[in-house]
Amino acid sequence: MTTTFDSSPALRTGALRQSLLISALFVVGLLVINLLFFPVGTVAVVLLSGLYQGMLFFLVAAGMSIVFGLLDVLNLAQGSFFMLGAYAGFAIYGALPEGTPTTVRFVAALVGATLAGGLLGGVVEIALLRPLYVRPIFQIVLTLGLATAIEEIVREIYGPAGLIPIEPPAALDTTFGVFGAQFETYRLFIIVVGFLLMVSVSLLLQRTRLGIIIRAGVQDSEMVEALGINVRRVFTLVFVLGTAVAALGGMTAAPFLGAYPTMGTQFLLTAIIVIVIGGMSSYEGTAIASILVGLTRATAEQLSLQYFNTPILASVSALVFMVIVLLVRPTGLFGRE
Amino acid sequence: MEEKRVVLETRGLSRYFGGLKAVDGIDLRIHEGDLHSIIGPNGAGKTTLFNLLCGVLSPTRGQILLHGQDITGLPPYRLAHLGVGRSFQITNIFPTLSVFENVRLAAQALGRDNFRLFTPVTRLPHYVEKAYAALAETELLELAHVPAQQLSHGDKRRLELAILLAQDLDIWLLDEPTAGLASELVPGFMALVDRMRKAGNKTVVLVEHNMNIVMSLSDRISVMHQGKLLAEGSPQEIARDEAVQAAYLGTMYMDAEQ
Amino acid sequence: MPQQTNTTTRASLWPGLLTMILFVLVPYSYAAFTGTPQPETSGLARVHSAAESIYCVKGISPVTSILLIELAVLLIVVLWAWLKQGEPGGKTAVFHQHGWYLFTLALLIAIPFIIAWQTNSSPCTRGKAFFWQSIYIDVFILAILALSYNLMFGFTGVVSFGHAAFFGTGAYAVGLFMKHLEWPWWLAILASLLLGILIALIKGFVGLRIKGLYFALFTLAFAEVFFLLAGNRIMVNITGAEDGFTFTVPDWLNMTKNRLFFYYLTLTFLTLAFITIYRLMHSPTGSVLSALRDNEERAQMIGYNTFHFKLLAIVLAGIMATMAGILRGLALKGASPNVLGLDFTMNPLLMSIVGGVATFSGPVIGAFMLRLTEQLLRDSIITIGTLSLNIGDHWTLILGIIFILSVMAFPHGIVGTWLSKNLHTRNGWITLFQRPKTNKDTFVQSSHPPSSTKHKETS
Ligand SMILES: Nc1ncnc2c1ncn2[C@@H]1O[C@H](COP(=O)(O)OP(=O)(O)O)[C@@H](O)[C@H]1O
Ligand SMILES: [Mg+2]
Repeated sequence: MTTTFDSSPALRTGALRQSLLISALFVVGLLVINLLFFPVGTVAVVLLSGLYQGMLFFLVAAGMSIVFGLLDVLNLAQGSFFMLGAYAGFAIYGALPEGTPTTVRFVAALVGATLAGGLLGGVVEIALLRPLYVRPIFQIVLTLGLATAIEEIVREIYGPAGLIPIEPPAALDTTFGVFGAQFETYRLFIIVVGFLLMVSVSLLLQRTRLGIIIRAGVQDSEMVEALGINVRRVFTLVFVLGTAVAALGGMTAAPFLGAYPTMGTQFLLTAIIVIVIGGMSSYEGTAIASILVGLTRATAEQLSLQYFNTPILASVSALVFMVIVLLVRPTGLFGRE
Repeated sequence: MEEKRVVLETRGLSRYFGGLKAVDGIDLRIHEGDLHSIIGPNGAGKTTLFNLLCGVLSPTRGQILLHGQDITGLPPYRLAHLGVGRSFQITNIFPTLSVFENVRLAAQALGRDNFRLFTPVTRLPHYVEKAYAALAETELLELAHVPAQQLSHGDKRRLELAILLAQDLDIWLLDEPTAGLASELVPGFMALVDRMRKAGNKTVVLVEHNMNIVMSLSDRISVMHQGKLLAEGSPQEIARDEAVQAAYLGTMYMDAEQ
Repeated sequence: MPQQTNTTTRASLWPGLLTMILFVLVPYSYAAFTGTPQPETSGLARVHSAAESIYCVKGISPVTSILLIELAVLLIVVLWAWLKQGEPGGKTAVFHQHGWYLFTLALLIAIPFIIAWQTNSSPCTRGKAFFWQSIYIDVFILAILALSYNLMFGFTGVVSFGHAAFFGTGAYAVGLFMKHLEWPWWLAILASLLLGILIALIKGFVGLRIKGLYFALFTLAFAEVFFLLAGNRIMVNITGAEDGFTFTVPDWLNMTKNRLFFYYLTLTFLTLAFITIYRLMHSPTGSVLSALRDNEERAQMIGYNTFHFKLLAIVLAGIMATMAGILRGLALKGASPNVLGLDFTMNPLLMSIVGGVATFSGPVIGAFMLRLTEQLLRDSIITIGTLSLNIGDHWTLILGIIFILSVMAFPHGIVGTWLSKNLHTRNGWITLFQRPKTNKDTFVQSSHPPSSTKHKETS
């Protein structure tokens, strides 16, 4: 069933295997660099923190990638939903009465942020993007404007400074030791949440009717439309899911990063790098690329902290990584020609 | 009949899309001045073959020779300079430019003025004249200054011809030039093609589904099926070929009549 | 045919020449040869007295200033002749097109004095007129940037989200060369331009292997690397990190001291950029650029190596954007990381869209609209006074909303809509309100109006 959408399964599986191999080699290469430069404890922390970053990138990038695959719209406002998620979480967390247990507040904030993100995503899709289907480039330009507007609105309401991280449930607010180094439990929680979402979205795509329609639409949206399926409605749904996941990601990150107006742009840029490396419309590509980028950044960050005393290389490394991938594979690691 | 020169030749030309052998070991010889039709059901690989011939796709295997020289793998823009031009099954023009600009750009492409950054195009009357001549030939003069996207489908198909004409190429690859044309317009359109090619002594490779037209205009016919060449010969030979008849002509005649 | 061209030249020169004479030549010569003019003689006399203050600019005597103005007029006439060489077509079309360009230019030449007249201040000492000159200088610089962006985005169809890389490089490089290497101004400017070309070539050779959106994102990343590097602490001794750096420029190039000169300098570059694009898009090369925007595959098929043309567009746009950056660096006598930031990609993009993508005057009009609106809103805080609502502080938000609205409701921009109105009145005005037909590459449709005017001119 799954292969019927592929015009050329043999080519695709061959290329897929090759891409997987490249990715694996890349991870091994990063590991070797880590082991050469750092003690084992640091290596473990770097790897974990790479995974944690990668998961956050994934949460932003997943929706972008699927939406792009479906209708060629690159949602450059996706980072803003991430940021909005964090702020929504803060608002809900703060709105609950004093005596409420932290865990309840925390879970309420998570759920509320997700719902808020999805709701706003729906509004944006229906009100702003739908009228522009005839002008794809302008859609992208519009989302860029939307990102600016959202960031400014948040700045107006909450001020430019940002909010201090909220308190996670006590159970998550600890550290644990790995090979003699300390690692925050909360970051582990982020990794787990990211991984669960990664798997559940994958299951959604592989096992449900909606997933099959989405994958078919990514392959050939005209064909799906010809089958009598309302692609527009599917698209709205996917857009809502994507923004909801991004908002959830923002709220998940909030106890660690806090909330500040520029976090949207910041995560957007890395998410763009991720989906470009992953091949824009490939879900597996996005998932793998986000981990690769996370690991690359973590390694480069550690290196540059050690040698230059500033994390500058973290951002630069991701960009350089993307440029190299594009040069070797102009359509990304898992992209179609 | 004296043997004409071979202008375009393929040797074992193949293109696979993954497991699908869209074009599979085609040996084709196109003779100078001929109208050589390629027929075959949808999905036979005709468009893919054209894409290979004009450099849009690179072959998985095999060779393409132009006047005896290997041109395999050359990019499309080089082929235009070597005298190979193409029209498309799906209309392929510059939609926001005027009809005149479409044709003038075609005339300009093979000249030496492409990098005169600050000379107004109107100061290069050579291309303007060529464009107007091509438009006159294809009866598009009246529409010269309409944006190409506003043309009717039939006029767009004629615009494709005008683009070819303005380039003064030796070889035309016409991929279903009458696709989407109302059936009553087809004979007139193909008569125009025939007149133009005879006037300029062009070599034409044609994909066309209307059998009456193929049979009456072609010098030679090749039949493609599932990426392979099934038969080749003069129209009479093809019409007599029982295998071809049994397998294709019957159904295709029906297609054409519908 | 040549004879006809001559007559149209003269006819269409009128509005420009007239303005020039009225606003510039008369007041200048009057001021120069009769001494202080009598304020009560006429309305124009007030312009005269304002023009008189050119005396106060050190080193420019009245005679020199008249000479300069006349040179400018001459230059304009020559440029004008060059602009419209070999342009056939009816008088009215030419008059319509170029007469107004010239009129605008003449107006821009006169504007420092008109403002001085209106605000009763001198154009060359601190005051309102002086202040507004700096706003216009900013507008001109942004307009050059927008023109350059439009050359890539509108005319060639190459979407880039990293135009700030050129702009910022210009601003940074010229300053760094003059400050750290102590190069003379001309060498610094030349070297910065070369650097801009180099970046364009890298973007072209490396980036153009990548198609469409991938290229846009590639340029975004490219600009971001520059942004991150320029603002990073490890560069603090060179670029001043987040705070940026300042440098000194020769007195005659100093915008604070010699602002009127700087005003005309930026105006000259804006004019040059405009003419370059105008001429380019009427040349054989320019038509290939619009062709590959429309349908790159087809352009290759008829024999164009589209890579060369795209590369050319990127290099030309790169030179212009770098020049805009250089002017900005010189004007502020410094640079900070924000010139490399997303703002300076967004701004030209928005200006092009508001003014009209793929039109000649659209980006310039967009730059004027947005920058002047920003300024007026900023001023409105002062007039409102007691209200605590500070409109100026909300400018970015307003910009974002303008952005969204204009993309949604106004995709052809001001000029594009104006032109398409003309077009559609011929074909039935109702089509103006119809949605464009679905087309895979509908972006192209937004550029429909200018190409239709093109054939109007050539018919
Ligand atoms: N880019 C492509 N990728 C995968 N399959 C293709 C591609 N282009 C054509 N094909 C396949 O190759 C076969 C031949 O197609 P085509 O050359 O268009 O046939 P024809 O023009 O004779 O109708 C078809 O089965 C088609 O699906
Ligand atoms: Mg076909």
